[in-house]
Amino acid sequence: MPDFRIEHITRYTYPSPVRDSANQIILYPIHDEYQEVIRQELHITGDPVVDTFIDYYGNEVGTFTYSQQHTSLTISSKLSVTTRQRPLPGNDIFPEQQWEDLKRLSQMVPYIDFLKPEYFDGIKELQAIVKSERSKEDTPSQVALRFCRYVYENFEYVKGVTTVETTMDEIWKLRAGVCQDFAHILTIMLRLVNIPARYVSGYICTNRHHTLRGEGATHAWAEAYIPDYGWLGIDPTNNCIANDTHVRLAVGRNFLDCSPVRGVYKGSSDHKLEVAVSVGYEDEAHHGSFLQEENTKAPDFKPVDDRPKNSYQQYMEMLQQQQQQQQQ
Amino acid sequence: MLSRVASSLYWLSRYVERSDGILRMLKINYASSQDTVQEFTWEPIIRIFAGHDEETAKLGNDSRTVIRYMVTGKSNPNSILNIITFARENARGVQEHITKDLWQCLNEYYHTVKDNRLENALKKDDPIGVLDVLIKQVMLYYGTVEITMERGEGRSFMNIGTYLERGIQSVDILDAKFVSIDDNPDLLRDTTYWKHLLLSLGGYEIYLKTYRTGFEAENVLEQVVLNNDFPRSVIYSVNHIQRYFERLKSDSNLDSSRELSFLIGRLQSHIRYSSVKTIEDEGLHTFLTQIRTQLFGIGDALNIHYFANS
Amino acid sequence: MQESAYFKEYHPISGVWDEMYGDAGIRAHYTKVIEYLSRESSDDLTRKEELAKRLFMSQGITFTVYSSGEGIEKIFPFDIIPRIITADEWSFVEKGIKQRLRALNLFLKDIYDNQFIVKDGIVPIDIIYSCPHFLREMYKLQVPYNIYVHIAGIDLIRDHDGTFYVLEDNLRTPSGVSYMLENREITKRLFPDLLPQCGVRSVMEYPSILYKNLLSLSPRQISNPNIVLLSPGIYNSAYFEHTTLARLMGVELVEGRDLVVKDQKVYMKTTVGLQQVDVIYRRVDDEYLDPLVFNPSSILGVAGIMGAYRKGNVAIVNAIGNGVADDKAIYIYVPEMIKYYLGEEPLLKNVPTYQLGNEDERQYVFANINKMVVKKTNESGGYGMLMGHAASEEETEKYKKEILKAPRNFIAQPTISLSAAPCYIQGALHPRRIDLRPYALCGPDGIEIVPGGLTRVALKEGSLVVNSSQGGGSKDTWVLA
Repeated sequence: MPDFRIEHITRYTYPSPVRDSANQIILYPIHDEYQEVIRQELHITGDPVVDTFIDYYGNEVGTFTYSQQHTSLTISSKLSVTTRQRPLPGNDIFPEQQWEDLKRLSQMVPYIDFLKPEYFDGIKELQAIVKSERSKEDTPSQVALRFCRYVYENFEYVKGVTTVETTMDEIWKLRAGVCQDFAHILTIMLRLVNIPARYVSGYICTNRHHTLRGEGATHAWAEAYIPDYGWLGIDPTNNCIANDTHVRLAVGRNFLDCSPVRGVYKGSSDHKLEVAVSVGYEDEAHHGSFLQEENTKAPDFKPVDDRPKNSYQQYMEMLQQQQQQQQQ
Repeated sequence: MLSRVASSLYWLSRYVERSDGILRMLKINYASSQDTVQEFTWEPIIRIFAGHDEETAKLGNDSRTVIRYMVTGKSNPNSILNIITFARENARGVQEHITKDLWQCLNEYYHTVKDNRLENALKKDDPIGVLDVLIKQVMLYYGTVEITMERGEGRSFMNIGTYLERGIQSVDILDAKFVSIDDNPDLLRDTTYWKHLLLSLGGYEIYLKTYRTGFEAENVLEQVVLNNDFPRSVIYSVNHIQRYFERLKSDSNLDSSRELSFLIGRLQSHIRYSSVKTIEDEGLHTFLTQIRTQLFGIGDALNIHYFANS
Repeated sequence: MQESAYFKEYHPISGVWDEMYGDAGIRAHYTKVIEYLSRESSDDLTRKEELAKRLFMSQGITFTVYSSGEGIEKIFPFDIIPRIITADEWSFVEKGIKQRLRALNLFLKDIYDNQFIVKDGIVPIDIIYSCPHFLREMYKLQVPYNIYVHIAGIDLIRDHDGTFYVLEDNLRTPSGVSYMLENREITKRLFPDLLPQCGVRSVMEYPSILYKNLLSLSPRQISNPNIVLLSPGIYNSAYFEHTTLARLMGVELVEGRDLVVKDQKVYMKTTVGLQQVDVIYRRVDDEYLDPLVFNPSSILGVAGIMGAYRKGNVAIVNAIGNGVADDKAIYIYVPEMIKYYLGEEPLLKNVPTYQLGNEDERQYVFANINKMVVKKTNESGGYGMLMGHAASEEETEKYKKEILKAPRNFIAQPTISLSAAPCYIQGALHPRRIDLRPYALCGPDGIEIVPGGLTRVALKEGSLVVNSSQGGGSKDTWVLA
């Protein structure tokens, strides 16, 4: 029953003042029997009122606005979380039965949302891989873990080669990326064999003795739906089951449904983003330094610029948007 | 009133006023080019209204070429065609805030400029006739504003736009004309030179009535900067900016209005307490540059405090 | 009375319902108009036609077509001969539309809440969940009075025997109502005294009914709530309509950049500071409405507006996410919805529709493609259609390939012939194909439909496409008392 202290800081700085920013944060850990939030302190520049609601996927989402001119915005979340180990799925049900059960789920809410594999150019290739990796006698959970290992072994963990904008096609060609990309591919593979798969965002909490990939920033992994068990967390970046070392923030169909921080503002399109996540056990001295991660994918902060670098293009974009509004 | 609406009304008026200035300028200069004793040049006009770049350098001094560039030139951002397109777009975005008459009037102005017949006429007919057609459109516009527009906040923003633009134009024209004198002091005693300046500002007749001693640079300067009754003098414009700004004051934006009041008041005093003598001592160009900067400053302050473009 | 030269020319199209001509000659409800017209020479009518054009142009009732960066202003072609609907026909259409809208509204409420209709297997779940307009952000979100469709423009057509069919339910941002109003104004000028003589019902109540409904949605119980019409801006083809409606209702016309969200409330930026906005009649698509939640590159929307909407601090008209109800693949199930929610038999019929996501139906459609009209499920305005009878083999093959890429996104309907009405074309009357779009307004007091609507007409001879983007025009639409 580990207790973690997590500090997650997101900071945006702008070269010239911006205003009217509207933001959405998904930084509230999920509450359930395997995860409990003891304490959470949220500090945001300007002390705005944060309004929270539960979204379609059950995540707690906060929104706030900051209308005054500002040159930086910091969102800091300090957490104390207790996690409990969850027993793994047993293999006491016949595989065929389990696959049958999954078939039934495919036309049910919420599973239907987690079964549509998105289309990309390499889908045929991936389909072939999925087919060869899967053996008839396997249970869904065994298949899921096999796929997890496949991603772990065949994709290289390289920071900075991908961004939030990188398409699945590019990731597929690179055969490399960070946790978001690993989780993304795994969800597609699982969906191809009709296993409902969710994308999960959260934190990975270091074991005292060795480190894991995905520290220092928000982490991402996948969950596969296993009949008679529920959602099983699988971390393809570390090739392990996501259990009591993984703190879950949000689940969804993909990264966009779970992005921890996103916002829009008016002003210069330039901004610098820094994200730092540090984790410690409740009983040890807090460690961790402010990491600068230019290419971190976690926060998706898209500017809406009204003062763009090229006004002509901006004008044309506006013309186009105005014209393309469907008037039925 | 929505900030965007205020801003559009203001810009609509600035554009129409600018078109008026350009048209009158073109008309008088064209006439001047036709009875030229000394070397006539379009250069100052192009410099004031179109700037200086590769394209304007290629225009040369052919009157029709220059006029066409200034009136229907698509690539000239300050051509009448482009200015009126902007004016109309601003009006379109605030259609429920101007009268239908005014909208139709602008519409007609726009369609007149866009009409191919106008372009053809500029190629072969009498340019003055063509310019007169357009000047009449502007007069129609002002008449329509005068008799149909509600006397409220919107009208004040429109007038501030008009007078700010007019003030800037008078300063620019004066500056350009007097700069030419530095290069060619003979102009100082050239009666036609001053006559044209006054004609292009519509101030010729007032001048004749006010000054019986013939054309003198100092008198021209006095009339164009300091005459309270000459509608195109700098002080007249500033007085009117002040007058219409006073009407906008309300309790809910005290800080903003105080700042703007200060800027306008300072400019007004600066001009009011100047005389031809002090201006000459200070240097005309320096004086005009200061006035121009302050006029722009008022525009910027409006932008921040009233048009929500901070 | 049929002596005039321009009547001799009139030959009803065989096998097509003619609004003016029946088996026994001119239908009774057209006789008064025909008598009137017969007294006019064709020169008179041509002069009237020119007057109409001039009025449209000078009032700026135009839309702008953009090509190669330059905007050309056009008027929506107007045919001077009114389209006439009898009191009986209208009463049927009115009942039918009200019934349909009641069901569609209940469907939206259900689909964003309990989803009973899906659980009961009436509407297949994958059709809903694969619809791009099914917005999960709307799930369990409370909208005032449970009204989603405040304004609907339901397109009706008439088959060869005069039966009315629903062609499309437009439940997002239906447009064209300003033409209903302007066409009537023009007709008053063209044919003095004719409207009262014929007993034509007025449509001019539309803006005040809409205003009354918007007012009733205000979340703040104050005497003077701020109601605004949110337009994409002056470059939108329907901008004229936005200004007309704003003017007629006396509400502020705003663009996205005029609004800002602060602490879950929407404000407009004015020269005296921020003012809270209560009701937004928006003419901006869902996807562009909130860059924070939907398309992040939208310049037309208001960041954070969804939050204000969720909190109930602002009312948005029409509701967000209505596209799931007017998706053409879901259209197929509307008659079932009427039975399911209302326990009634549908009054207005659907056009038979094949869903190309369904293998068998796709094969049937491919085999009979020259008798079909194929449409994209999420497009409107006559874009992206294939008219099987008119398309070349090459076009058809290309289109089929397109379909196979994403069959769910296509439906097909047998070519319905559309009724015809007389149009004044080059000095004579000729039958041209028409449709009908009445505008229904739903408020807390129920559904109201002003007696009239927009009759669109395919002005090209033989054409069945009435959309303005495809050479269509419009007519004044008369409903008789």
